Amino acid sequence: MSPLLDAPPLLELVDVRAAYDGIEVLHGVDLTVPQGAVVALLGPNGAGKSTTISVVAGLVVPTSGQVLMAGRNTVGARPEELARRGVVTIPEGRGIFPNLTVRENLQMATYTGVSLQNVEAFTYEQFPRLGERRKQLAGTMSGGEQQMLAMARGLASDPAILLLDELSMGLAPLIVEELYGIVAEIARRGVSILVVEQFARTVLGVADLAAIMVHGVIRSVGVPSAIEAELSSAYLGG
Amino acid sequence: MDNNTERIEAFTEEIGSMKLRGSSASGERTLVLVGALSLAAGFALAILGGIQTSGTTNQADQRAFMATGSFIGIALVIVGAALFVRFSLARYLRFWMVRMVHESRANTDRIVQAIHDAAPQ
Repeated sequence: MSPLLDAPPLLELVDVRAAYDGIEVLHGVDLTVPQGAVVALLGPNGAGKSTTISVVAGLVVPTSGQVLMAGRNTVGARPEELARRGVVTIPEGRGIFPNLTVRENLQMATYTGVSLQNVEAFTYEQFPRLGERRKQLAGTMSGGEQQMLAMARGLASDPAILLLDELSMGLAPLIVEELYGIVAEIARRGVSILVVEQFARTVLGVADLAAIMVHGVIRSVGVPSAIEAELSSAYLGG
Repeated sequence: MDNNTERIEAFTEEIGSMKLRGSSASGERTLVLVGALSLAAGFALAILGGIQTSGTTNQADQRAFMATGSFIGIALVIVGAALFVRFSLARYLRFWMVRMVHESRANTDRIVQAIHDAAPQ
């Protein structure tokens, strides 16, 4: 078992319930992300995974329960305040500005006070391909490069907690593997990562802990090898 | 794993010092509601003030009814309308902006796909 699992939690969801227009979609979610660990939240479409990410990021306010970060309940905190303090979200669908260049997109990461020079230096070292395309419109790059740009923008702001929503969406398996290689590299630096995925196999390779979510509840939590065996029944409704 | 203790300590400190004021979305909803209620109450007061003022020939009473009814009513209508427009507009503009970004991305994807398809193999 990974020693990271014994580390104190940096992020903890306690009996979190959330609703959209009165319809409850999270029915008491309990989940822990230990310091420096990668936790994979898996489950079929519509399970509530992205809503969980939105709750942590402050985009959706839970109807009850607690979201503890470093021991403090952050329910009610504004998303931009959480982002400024290091809770970085890389949303589903990348969230880049397609009509801006790569460099202009990176400029958006300077909201935390980091200089553009530093953001660019970090990005082009980590993702050399983006350096070659710095003047290119982001929307004209391949899906993998767009996802790299989204990751670079998030990572440049020095995250403490990284929230990844469906990193693999619409990407070829080889690109997904490359991106998860980068996620593993980030995790080695001690960033706590909560990653949501519908297609689970690749993410289980980098996760320290995995959880299966079905119909707005966490069905099981465990080490990836144990969770892998339960995946089929969760996805097929068994 | 590299030593990330410093970052975690800084994060813990920053999260600890954060002021929590409730969500802006729920605050906006409350203010839209307050605006709508003020608007309705203002109209009711203004109409009541008008009826009371026209119902008496005593000028002192008329002034009192105008002051307590119509003027306060009109003030409530103005404040209520301002609150309602300001905060319902904020919500609308936010949705509009998200929609624009979404459509812009979809358009760019379509153009890129069309260029890709048209390129000689």
